[in-house]
Amino acid sequence: MSSNDGQTSRRDFLATTLALAPLAVTVVGQTAAQSINGEQLPSSSPAPDHPSVPDYRPSYFTSAEWAFINAACARIIPADEHGPGAVELGVPQYIDRQMGTPWADGGIWYMQGPFFAGAPEFGYQSQLTPKQQYRMGIKAIDTLCHERLNMPFVALTAAQQDDVLKQIEKGSLTSTELPLSTFFSGFLLRNVMEGYFGDPMYGGNKDMAAWKMIGYPGVRADYLEWVGQAKPYPYGPVSIYGKRG
Amino acid sequence: MSRPARNRWLIAGLGLIAAATVVVSAVVYHVPDPAISPALTHRTPDATRGEYIAVLGDCAFCHTETAGPSYAGGRAFSTPLGTIYSSNITPDRDTGIGAYTLADFVRVMRLGVKPDGTRLYPAMPYTAYAKVADEDLQDLFAYVQSDIAPLPVASRATHIPWPLSIRWPLALWNAAFHDDSRFVTDGSKDSQWNRGAYLVQGLAHCGTCHTPRGIFFEEKDLRGRSNLYLSGSGLDATSPINLRGNSGDGLGRWSTADIATLLKSGRSEHSAVTGTMADAVRHSTQYMTDQDVTSIAIYVKSLSPAPEHGRASFVASDSTMSTIMAGSERSPGGRIYLDSCAACHRLSGSGENSTFPTLAGNPSVLSSDPSSLIGVILEGGRVPSTAAAPSGLAMPGFGWRYSDADIAALATFTRSSWGNNAPPVTAAKVAGIRDQLRSGRPDH
Ligand code: HEC
Ligand code: HEC
Ligand code: HEC
Repeated sequence: MSSNDGQTSRRDFLATTLALAPLAVTVVGQTAAQSINGEQLPSSSPAPDHPSVPDYRPSYFTSAEWAFINAACARIIPADEHGPGAVELGVPQYIDRQMGTPWADGGIWYMQGPFFAGAPEFGYQSQLTPKQQYRMGIKAIDTLCHERLNMPFVALTAAQQDDVLKQIEKGSLTSTELPLSTFFSGFLLRNVMEGYFGDPMYGGNKDMAAWKMIGYPGVRADYLEWVGQAKPYPYGPVSIYGKRG
Repeated sequence: MSRPARNRWLIAGLGLIAAATVVVSAVVYHVPDPAISPALTHRTPDATRGEYIAVLGDCAFCHTETAGPSYAGGRAFSTPLGTIYSSNITPDRDTGIGAYTLADFVRVMRLGVKPDGTRLYPAMPYTAYAKVADEDLQDLFAYVQSDIAPLPVASRATHIPWPLSIRWPLALWNAAFHDDSRFVTDGSKDSQWNRGAYLVQGLAHCGTCHTPRGIFFEEKDLRGRSNLYLSGSGLDATSPINLRGNSGDGLGRWSTADIATLLKSGRSEHSAVTGTMADAVRHSTQYMTDQDVTSIAIYVKSLSPAPEHGRASFVASDSTMSTIMAGSERSPGGRIYLDSCAACHRLSGSGENSTFPTLAGNPSVLSSDPSSLIGVILEGGRVPSTAAAPSGLAMPGFGWRYSDADIAALATFTRSSWGNNAPPVTAAKVAGIRDQLRSGRPDH
């Protein structure tokens, strides 16, 4: 027991420290701009701008998977009286784009064994990469839908889709292929929220609509002068690329 | 005209040309006498004092390539003619100045003429070092010859296309513009003022950057005879500010202590040095004694205002702040300021004491030539880490985020807000600075 614990926590420690390594590489690997005073300053420019586009073609997901992602997004954050839904804001594009990052291949994690089903506080312990989670997770959900309702997930009614997703989240609908609740909470749901509320440069949050909905001013990062003023903040949001919503 | 008459003219013309050639060659090939006081032969040079003179003169920065060995030369300087490189001034006999005599050294420091008669480009500030006293040069020479390790590093050839690469015309430039007089003490001023004037005009060579230049690239005043001296310039995509007493773009509203603190630490309560001024502080002024920086500050503070015509003014005003607070700031420049600058420099443009410079009334913002302002917006900057203030606070660059027109609007906003009143900045000016900074990069 104690030796197991020792290994697990060491693995977790490694996973956390290694997760930081790519960060260090990105900072160092940036094209170092020469400042006017001859001192090397790291370039402050971010990754390229990839806002959502109307005719997006997925590069990782198959057409069946793409249909699933769109259907799931539409149920997780539907358009309603509060604001636009995840699909309108480009969240499926965000998720597909994430599949092209080192994260999607587990490239920023320690991904060698041993693999244990650790307690939740030890963090993600599976050997499945995020890409594999999506590929296997979507397939498993569709298999379950076929077994029970004889239809793929995308063909279900909205109410049926909500029911399937809720049961998966609660852990009452499971698969022998992979822990479905981990796929749902740890990947699908999390990535939908990221895409919806993240910066538009990553493909979601089109026109900063999610920020406008909650009154978030974006990367302006500072409203000190308005603190203590009994009126709403008067300016719309701004994105990392300096666009205004 | 008759044939003999024409011949006479021809002969006279040739004679004139020949005479001119003689005069020109006399100027060009003459290896001038450096005029050292005979008393020096009886003086024992002090190399330790010489080391401090090297700090005052900032020799190490220019004569060391980035990350290269100290004093071995090779730092690139882009000039309007092309790129030139500083020389190896370690005492190596073949590649450095190990074979120099004191007279050779003084000649090169005051006249820009090497022992073999080769002329230096005035990128080496001999135009200012001419003011330096014999004893100081003697001590400096002793330091360079005895305390620096000789390094065999061949000096790099200049990248200047022929025929501009021919150096002898520099002799004519010297004849026309070089002032080889020594610093003259002003008996009507106290010794601290005189010490400050001596340093500013000589070793610290503030004028090479801060004095405006004429069409032949000559400094318009080398020893403070007119109110153009140190009145601000535009140089290599930077704009060294007006150091005279003007209350808008000059140091009129600064105290002597503000100036001394800035030279010592790279920042004052309300501003910070950027660009080439940060180099001057990083490598030279921070190591000056408190007495010397105070003397410099006293001298600079005594300079009368430069001609006001066309210069910026500043009268503090809070209307910019109230417009923004009311939610009615609509100008493109004001909106960019709100989005990208206010987090540090605040809506009031007053920054945070000793952390983020005040932009309201900042001479660098109000400078007639806005190059430094544009440069810092495009590429950001880092306050030099000094013994007096170690934190090297940085400002990120915004060149990637905004177009030339955006940056022109932003610069114009900062020059016309909070009481700042300086002329607008054009997108063409921003494009020019962007190009210059890009081509100044080593990877270019
Ligand atoms: C602003 C930059 C700058 C500063 C400051 C500077 N130099 Fe130079 N120096 C140069 C450049 C550039 C050259 C080469 C010029 C050329 O090739 O025409 C040079 C050339 C020289 C030479 C000629 C060497 C040779 O034989 O080729 C000597 C000696 C010299 N500098 C000494 C000094 C000393 C001592 C100091 C400090 C008091 C100093 N320099 C400060 C830029 C500078
Ligand atoms: C290598 C060129 C160079 C030299 C040498 C130089 N300066 Fe500067 N200086 C600049 C530039 C460029 C600026 C404008 C950028 C800035 O504001 O920091 C500047 C700005 C300043 C400022 C205003 C700083 C601020 O925060 O706005 C002061 C004061 C100043 N210089 C004083 C001096 C004094 C005194 C000397 C001589 C001891 C000197 N400088 C030598 C280039 C130079
Ligand atoms: C993260 C904080 C930060 C932000 C955001 C920022 N600055 Fe700065 N700014 C600084 C710091 C720190 C310095 C001092 C840098 C130096 O000395 O090189 C500085 C220096 C300056 C200077 C030179 C002041 C002087 O005394 O010479 C100007 C002008 C300036 N900033 C304008 C701007 C503008 C315009 C923006 C918006 C595009 C901006 N800054 C955004 C922190 C910031």
